[in-house]
Amino acid sequence: MMSNSEIAIRVEDLSKKYTIGSQQEDRLRYALSNLWKDQKTEEIWALRDVSFEIKKGEVVGIIGRNGAGKSTLLKILSKITKPTSGRAILYGRVASLLEVGTGFHHELTGRENIYLNGNLLGLSRQEIKLRFDEIIDFSGVEKFIDTPVKHYSSGMYVRLAFSVAAHLNPEILLVDEVLAVGDYEFQQKCLGKMDDVAKSGRTVLLVSHNLAALKTLCQSYLYFDHGRMMEKSIDFDFQYNVAQSNSRALLQSVNNRLFLDTNNDLRLELQRNQSRLELISFIIIYIRNSRNEVMYKFNTKKSINAKLLEFSSEKKLEFNLKSVSLYSGTYSLSYEAYNEKSKIIESNRLATLEVLKKDKWEPQLKEGVRSEYTFIMRQK
Amino acid sequence: MSKSKLQVTVIEADSPFKLLDIRELISYRDLIITMSWRDLRVKYAQTFIGFLWALINPLFSLLILHFIFGRVIQVDTGGVPHLVFTMIGLSIWTYFSTLVSESGNSILSNQNMIKKIYFPKIILPLSKALTGLVDYIIALILLIVVMIYVDYTPSSHIVYVPFFLFMTIFTGITAGIWISAMTVRYRDFKFVVPFILQLGLYASPIAYSSEMVPESYQFLYHCNPLVGIIEGLRWSLTGIGSLNNSVWYTIISIGIFFIVGLWLFRRVEHKMADIL
Repeated sequence: MMSNSEIAIRVEDLSKKYTIGSQQEDRLRYALSNLWKDQKTEEIWALRDVSFEIKKGEVVGIIGRNGAGKSTLLKILSKITKPTSGRAILYGRVASLLEVGTGFHHELTGRENIYLNGNLLGLSRQEIKLRFDEIIDFSGVEKFIDTPVKHYSSGMYVRLAFSVAAHLNPEILLVDEVLAVGDYEFQQKCLGKMDDVAKSGRTVLLVSHNLAALKTLCQSYLYFDHGRMMEKSIDFDFQYNVAQSNSRALLQSVNNRLFLDTNNDLRLELQRNQSRLELISFIIIYIRNSRNEVMYKFNTKKSINAKLLEFSSEKKLEFNLKSVSLYSGTYSLSYEAYNEKSKIIESNRLATLEVLKKDKWEPQLKEGVRSEYTFIMRQK
Repeated sequence: MSKSKLQVTVIEADSPFKLLDIRELISYRDLIITMSWRDLRVKYAQTFIGFLWALINPLFSLLILHFIFGRVIQVDTGGVPHLVFTMIGLSIWTYFSTLVSESGNSILSNQNMIKKIYFPKIILPLSKALTGLVDYIIALILLIVVMIYVDYTPSSHIVYVPFFLFMTIFTGITAGIWISAMTVRYRDFKFVVPFILQLGLYASPIAYSSEMVPESYQFLYHCNPLVGIIEGLRWSLTGIGSLNNSVWYTIISIGIFFIVGLWLFRRVEHKMADIL
């Protein structure tokens, strides 16, 4: 355990239970009928026994599928909802940005909305005044600052909203999936701002499906699955690199490599184990969904360059699977290797793919960063 | 910026129960003001005659009540011109009814905020009370205009007026807290609100005198906290009636209502983000 002075956030056995069907509670009928009978309800643990510590000045990304508990964690840390058990201690002034533009009112002008939103986020009028010019500067909407925001384009709206939040200057910043808005240029600006925040020694906890953004900002990650925090190490050993010019996802396991480039093409490198020496005639690659239905099939026999006979331990075989498009979910990637008589000589499950697709309502990112699919590779 | 003191936030399932976190409320005081500014702006932003509506509403009510109670029924006002008599009650009723009808919505219409940002939710009914003050002030100005119009000289008890104005605001805030807490807990409550308003309009001595209520109903009648306040304001402006024990009774009952209201509100406050 670290000493208190180094710690920004300490979470101990935090759990949150939601009772499905509890909306019933808001009806008088429910309250009345509840007097003499128990209503059936279903319990869901959105968060279960989560513990971690985050050091001051650390930028930590939270990843996991939809419903894994990421947003619930941020809601608890920002005091919006109470935990069912456990506790969290935050050392320093906290600001949370769970949604860009919460509290903005379309009838009010940009200027009025800056004050309203700023107050809502915990700034006093005086503090906003001090940062006012900076906020407008950053947003780039100074021409329209006295126009009601209902006349703004959606881009302007988002820029102004993010600007207010970006100038909160908290010691701890909690951010939920807000990078998915705005155009590419503004996104880069936001990332830059977050980077500044991080570099000035503040602590940032960041939820995003945009692993590219996380990669550039975060020093470490917390991986959530079904309300629990998973071990960071073995299960979850991914590298993601978009900063490079060819912009691709890179995942690595022992011998086999997997790439996802910007066009959703999946590149796969296979390397044979030395012990297997029988000649291979062709290979079929499968992607199956959780019900074991084949979602994608690639047969090397049908492609032109099928010189697989020389596939030996020294040689890598590269596949380029075009336009792999998958919905979010868990998939398995496997291959079958056939000999000349079309008999299976090798069959192997290569990896589990976890596709984190962005929710449909989120605006599509423009070229440059494209991360609709994130492949997380687990060991076989 | 001062970084001298590190703010420590502890988040637990059962944090100690506090009826009202005054220190936190003070740190959010600017929010109360901007929220009511927003409500005011939005309320009158797209209407043609804007703020004039805040004048037309009580004026119209005054004329109707004056016609029915003053001209048709001709209630006994103890020598006070009926227009003045009614406007005193109406000014209080205007403020109270505005808060009752709008507080329920104050939480529901801001649920998106509640789900995404932490702030003390009590600010929502409080900012409504502040917004309603504009209507209240306009109604009071109308009262002064009416008094000048009928050339009425107020009594020497006028020094007590501020106290009753304060009590009106306090009662309005209490009602607002109750109704917003109940509306969050039970959505059906918003259908109860029109009944409260209808009942309140007739069960308060707005256009008639509380002395007209039969003796056997007096206790029940005085359970309405507005009765004591309207009587009190009327006494301090016109000198009619007397400031008897009912005023103390009113003050104590509103005090109790206020504390119970805070308690009810606190109980639903931390659940709001989950149940909305």
